[in-house]
Amino acid sequence: MRLALAIASLVVLLVHGIVFYDQFFHKWERYQNAYFDQARTQARNDEERADLASRSPRIEQIMVTQFGETRVDRCTTCHIASDDPRFAGLGHPLKTHPYSAALGDTQVNGKWERRHKFNDFGCTVCHEGQGRGLTDHYAHGEDHYWPDPLLGYITQEPWRKDFVKHLKGKDYMQAACAQCHTEEKFAGTPIVARGRQLFFENNCYGCHRIEGISDGTLGPELTEAGKKFKVDYLWESIADPRANLASSFMPKFKLNDDDVKALVIFLKSRHGINLTETQLAQFRSRLHPAAVVESTPSPTSTDLVSRGKQLIQDRACGACHKIGEKDGAIAPDLSFEGLMKDDQWVLDHFKNPRSRMPDSIMPGFRFVETDFQAMTAYLISLKTPPATATPAETYKALCQRCHGEKGDGLGPVATYIDPAPRDLTKAAFMNSKPRERFVESIKQGVHGTSMPSWTKVLNDTQVDGLLTYVETTFTKDKRRALKPRNVPAQNPVTASKESIARGEEIFLARCTGCHGRKADGKGPNSLDIVPRPRNLRNSPFVSSIADQRLIESILYGVQGTAMPPWIDYGLSQKEAGDLVHFIRSLTQASARPQLRAGR
Amino acid sequence: MSVKTALAEIPRTIWTSIFRHSLPSSELGQAQTSFTNFFLHVHPVKVNRHTLKATYTLGLGLISFFLFLILTVTGVLLMFYYVPSTTQAYDRMLDLRGSVAFGTFLRNMHRWGAHGMVIAVFLHMCRVFLTGSYKRPREFNWVIGVFLLLLTLFGSFTGYLLPWDQLAFWAITVGTAIAGYAPVVGEKMRFLLLGDNTVGQEALLRFYVLHVVVIPLAITLLVAIHFWRIRKDGGLSRPAEADMAPGTEALSVQVMAAPIELKPAEGKQSFGLMGLVRGPFTKVGNTPENTVFSWPNLLMAELFVFILTVAAILVISLLFHAPLEEPVNAMHPPNPAKAPWYFLGLQELVSYSAFWGGVGIPGIEVAILMLVPYLDRKPGGVGRWFAKERLLANTLFVSFTLLNVILIIIGTLFRGPNWEFVSPW
Repeated sequence: MRLALAIASLVVLLVHGIVFYDQFFHKWERYQNAYFDQARTQARNDEERADLASRSPRIEQIMVTQFGETRVDRCTTCHIASDDPRFAGLGHPLKTHPYSAALGDTQVNGKWERRHKFNDFGCTVCHEGQGRGLTDHYAHGEDHYWPDPLLGYITQEPWRKDFVKHLKGKDYMQAACAQCHTEEKFAGTPIVARGRQLFFENNCYGCHRIEGISDGTLGPELTEAGKKFKVDYLWESIADPRANLASSFMPKFKLNDDDVKALVIFLKSRHGINLTETQLAQFRSRLHPAAVVESTPSPTSTDLVSRGKQLIQDRACGACHKIGEKDGAIAPDLSFEGLMKDDQWVLDHFKNPRSRMPDSIMPGFRFVETDFQAMTAYLISLKTPPATATPAETYKALCQRCHGEKGDGLGPVATYIDPAPRDLTKAAFMNSKPRERFVESIKQGVHGTSMPSWTKVLNDTQVDGLLTYVETTFTKDKRRALKPRNVPAQNPVTASKESIARGEEIFLARCTGCHGRKADGKGPNSLDIVPRPRNLRNSPFVSSIADQRLIESILYGVQGTAMPPWIDYGLSQKEAGDLVHFIRSLTQASARPQLRAGR
Repeated sequence: MSVKTALAEIPRTIWTSIFRHSLPSSELGQAQTSFTNFFLHVHPVKVNRHTLKATYTLGLGLISFFLFLILTVTGVLLMFYYVPSTTQAYDRMLDLRGSVAFGTFLRNMHRWGAHGMVIAVFLHMCRVFLTGSYKRPREFNWVIGVFLLLLTLFGSFTGYLLPWDQLAFWAITVGTAIAGYAPVVGEKMRFLLLGDNTVGQEALLRFYVLHVVVIPLAITLLVAIHFWRIRKDGGLSRPAEADMAPGTEALSVQVMAAPIELKPAEGKQSFGLMGLVRGPFTKVGNTPENTVFSWPNLLMAELFVFILTVAAILVISLLFHAPLEEPVNAMHPPNPAKAPWYFLGLQELVSYSAFWGGVGIPGIEVAILMLVPYLDRKPGGVGRWFAKERLLANTLFVSFTLLNVILIIIGTLFRGPNWEFVSPW
């Protein structure tokens, strides 16, 4: 035991030794001593020498109270020569901070004078990093818990390797400049200005709110994005929106690396507050927010259509939609909207997109009524379909954007469309429905979905040709005679509260796994199912479908989808009728029952 | 006596006025040293050989106590730098890490010491149960021990919030949410603890006061009673045969249970003060002895445990840094947000049923723990690890503790985002 005691005591002593050594021999002391030595050799007079002799290593710090929260910057403990012009030629950390006219530094009698004096500004207000730290690991923000690593210099360990190369460089420091220099055309922050421009050009403002700039509500608020998020997260969110959150419906915009960088730097500059404003000024700016959208055309323009055209262009609808040549590759083609929709539909859809398309991701813009009217007028005026000679050309011009080059429903915009475009290669589905049904879908469109009515674009022969083209090119399988099905033409059950209650009972027991407890098509199994289960709260869709078809889909299933024939599981026609009453009750504004389970 | 001699002898007289005895060289001296020193008189003059067996106690009680001492010392030093304010606390942590002398090391010691104490106290409880040491006459000391375990957990929990980083904020948010699941009083209790509906400045202040004043005082008081009861209950538990001098026959020890009749104090008293002490360790009868002097045997053992504990904490603190995550961001919960590790078993249960996991099962467990000595009253099997007579009790206890430990391991290592099962490998 005595030996063990001796060993343990030795360990205690040893640890004390190490801890004391660490405590009293700092790296920064060595830097400071090196600085004193160098400075002594360069000292020109005795006064300077005496001054240096009286100094001994100590923690240097700058307290900054003027800008936002109080900052304690101890950076000059190591970077002790940052304000000593004689050390311009040395390496870090004993290097003079460069003087630059771009930063506002001026030369007086051959001596540089700083515009941003370190004693007033500190260091981290521009460079970020952790001002209180005294080791480079912590001070530079390499520790991945630290929210603000040195801007443009330090990338943290967990950051995505494919992004890291974009996240370094002086340019990022413009984000720090723009915290105070908020003028849009400030000479020192061209990339921030570019980012702001892109924010409007790509219609980011439609979904995201930035106080004083934009008013969107669909996406996360970005007023304090620069404070909340690191540059790697911002980059990822723009370049790969679903990487962080698989269910995000943020579109992946067509942006090159420089654009993404400009947006990241712009967002990094948003700290919610302008550090140069007094609190009173901040309060005032909140009371009177800046105009939401600039560049409103002059109200003297009485021509609604030309005004609408200007608005559609200014407000970057083309960032998502296709209008003429410009294609954002995210949302439907509006090039001949006048042939597919009427003005009431377009106006309603502008005011609240989800009133017409319940699962649309289009943001509801808060423009003034007259702007909506002008934009509607312009869209309705677009009535020139592309000229196509053959069905193949027609498919390419009109259908391919959604249904895809191979007809598999995976067109370039398909990801953003809910319900998803039909997979035309699925013979099981295509051959289980009568041909007339497809003709009707093309001519009348499918309500509550992105499938528009083509009746004013295509004549009967064209529709027929197109359908034949689809069948022969994509579906391929020969159509067989459909087996007769025993489906009542009318709902066999009369509508009543009891019937709805019975329907709900059945729904909760059999349907929620896929259609979800809210019947919104988002049940626990829905993520693994393609095509996704129907959202039964899609009012325009449900009300456009006759009872007969609903009952048929329930009893005999939908071939080529995950919907099984419930008749095989013992569901009777009457029960299917109850279900239909229940489903309809969900979308009827009056007497809409609260789902028991959904509460 | 001349002033000169008095002056000359000042060092010696002061010394002897404090330490009444020189280092003991005789048995009498050894006894007196223990008896007259304030700190040493917690110990008996003589102690049973069995008590000193390292394989019996594993030193767990002492380790817990020494960790408490280390926590008190480091905690007081940390208090000089800490401000319980939501705007300053995190900055103070950065200062501790960056510029305060020994700041990192103190914080490491405090952090790892706290985790160590939770583990040591828990293992101590297991030791006491598995050796049947809670039996008569030590029932009440067991109950005090359970309170000490709860206080240790609560002390660690309140300390968890103080760094005011993301880890602290969300662990306490989750932990107090568990408390909120209690029926009727749950929400009120939570409000009382937090001083608000969410974790904020009020909660920080309350947790701080609880952590630095209330809980340490309560622990000190209960530890004092815990120690005192050990003496009064006749030292540490041991098997009956441990009281026999080696080579003697087993004597009836009924004298232990026989109460000493106290005559009214009239006339001369024929017994010393020690004789009045009731209970099994009274030396009035001719109880066979198997004892050694506390000085130096017990003290050496204690010193040994102390040095080992300190060395372990120092080495751990040197190798591993106490975590400090991002500053609090109430809008950005980590996924999953986890309670402190010793509550993750509960959180795992809560993921199945809020009431049963948060309140029902832990409540029942604590109640059973407290009642154990009053339920299991058979006298056999005291003082031996895994005594055959106690097979049922030990099996039940081991299964329950294992279950809790497994739940904690699942909650800690196997739960990822949205509390879904993940593999740590």
